[in-house]
Amino acid sequence: MSFAMHVPILAIAAPLLGAFSLPLMAKVHHRLRDLWAIIVGAFTVAMIVTLAVQVFGGGIQVYTLGAEAPDATLGPEGFPIRITLVADAMGAFMALISALLGGAALVYALGFAQDGKGKTLSMSLLLLLWAGMLGLKLTGDLFNFFVFLEITTVAACGLIAYRVWESRPPEAAFKTLVMFILGGLMVLLAVALLYGEYGALNMAYLSNQIGGGLIDRMALGLLVGGLLMKAGAVPMHMWAPDAYGEADANTAIVLVANTQAGLYGLLRMLFTLYGGAATPEVGWLITSLGALTVLVTVLMAVVQHRLGRLVAYGAVSQIGYMLLAAGVALVTVGARPEFGQLALQGSVFHMINDAACIGLLFLCVGAVHRATGTGDLRSLGGLAHTERWTSGFFLLGALALAGIPPLNGFASKLMIYQSVFMLSPILAALAVLASILLLAVFVRAFQGAFLGPRQNVVSKPPSPAMLIGMGVLAAVVIAFGLFPDVMVRHVVAPAAEALWTGRDAYMAAVLGG
Amino acid sequence: MRLLTGEGFWSPLVWLALAAGVALLAWALRSRGRQDYKRGTEQETPFLSGEPMPEGVHVGGQHMYWGFVEALRPVIDRLRAFHSGVVSDYVTWLVVMLAVVFLVVMLS
Repeated sequence: MSFAMHVPILAIAAPLLGAFSLPLMAKVHHRLRDLWAIIVGAFTVAMIVTLAVQVFGGGIQVYTLGAEAPDATLGPEGFPIRITLVADAMGAFMALISALLGGAALVYALGFAQDGKGKTLSMSLLLLLWAGMLGLKLTGDLFNFFVFLEITTVAACGLIAYRVWESRPPEAAFKTLVMFILGGLMVLLAVALLYGEYGALNMAYLSNQIGGGLIDRMALGLLVGGLLMKAGAVPMHMWAPDAYGEADANTAIVLVANTQAGLYGLLRMLFTLYGGAATPEVGWLITSLGALTVLVTVLMAVVQHRLGRLVAYGAVSQIGYMLLAAGVALVTVGARPEFGQLALQGSVFHMINDAACIGLLFLCVGAVHRATGTGDLRSLGGLAHTERWTSGFFLLGALALAGIPPLNGFASKLMIYQSVFMLSPILAALAVLASILLLAVFVRAFQGAFLGPRQNVVSKPPSPAMLIGMGVLAAVVIAFGLFPDVMVRHVVAPAAEALWTGRDAYMAAVLGG
Repeated sequence: MRLLTGEGFWSPLVWLALAAGVALLAWALRSRGRQDYKRGTEQETPFLSGEPMPEGVHVGGQHMYWGFVEALRPVIDRLRAFHSGVVSDYVTWLVVMLAVVFLVVMLS
């Protein structure tokens, strides 16, 4: 039995154990804590990259907990009763996104968070959230999906709220907690319905059984409702600007990854668990909510005067693009599969592009806040005179987010526009209009905060760790922008394919045959 | 090095080459412009709408798109009211949307 077989569980176990051991290290010395965080983070990233190489090179990886051999998914009676981890191309792709944002957030936090102001707590919760997200993306068991969803809820809300000496973060965390708990309960009820109907929790087994009956559809309604909220679809998105806007910069970017994990859950349920049972009407619902999300959040971004909330609305708007394209894929799955497949690729590609550019923007907001003590556009100005790296990174992230060529946001948005156009030219026009508005929003933010004469005294320039965190994401923005075809061919297309036609392979990997 | 996008393709490297050509053309045109600009003279005095302005004045980000926002004021006011910040409103919308999702799923 080789070490490589245990990679799926090690990817989850490393940040989970790291989260609980970090406070102990901090008791010894704060430098030991930082060193331990680097070791845990580097090991987790290495495990995720190894897993991705295994999956993209050799197909679906299955890991069964408690079995004699990790690949023994079936119990003695030929029934999948144990907890299984199933890493297909889509799961591995999502794990890569969490590696990118989790790694960048951890490095950034080393230089951004302050001792005596909850640094140990925030880094521990960050690792816990990372573990929860990875579990959510790799589990093949529906109840464990709920468990990891709850772990992400607890860790995310703790991360937003830990600055208890300020009034707004705990309030934002409370609102997020209420919404996440209700969404989680909806998922739990759906799990209970499916368990009552089929007596199983294994997703591959359930996928084989679900035929679209009344109980199946009730469970689907609960899953779609709960996960759309977690993904931040309008009008259930209102927790997201509160949470992103009030969280620390390094927290905000893992919250973005957490939101994308909700979207991943939705896609996994619709394409893998329900497969053909998810009708085009559900696709139209998701398309409509995607279009609504894009428009409403971009219009709200126009009138924000706090930089963090402005970027937060920009972040939610990008979820709208992903929903729009995923909805198109569901609508056209039977009628025009060639455009459905392109739409799904666009949606999946936009996830990692959004992760990089929104992540970069949030880290820049953190650097501005640290430098000036404020994030209010009414009192900022002229930061480009002194904060050159931050200004450059912010401009890069803003242009990429608005879909300006040749940056990464353009490539995935182009795929989305063209596929949405084949379904509805009006929706495609709305999507383009929203992108133009988003560019206007970020031109305003850049002009207000970075251009013009100096308005602020810069007290704390970004530390080297912060610059490394921002630099990694900036490199991804440029690299994926210049070589999108490489990324799509080797990573995005297999990930989208795993959802599009990979249901049978998923079931075969777990159930055999 | 082409990304197929359904109806067409996208090649960032070709785009970069074209952009470099346009930049070169712009630089060539600029270099043929006026040569009598002098640093440190009154030519550098800032003006805003034809009026001389004191140095250090910054047109903040909140002033941009004033006309656009005013034109859309009724829509934006409604959107702001919709984002009330009250958690019970958030829960209400969640319940409403759950009903809509159920309607679509059960009737489809």
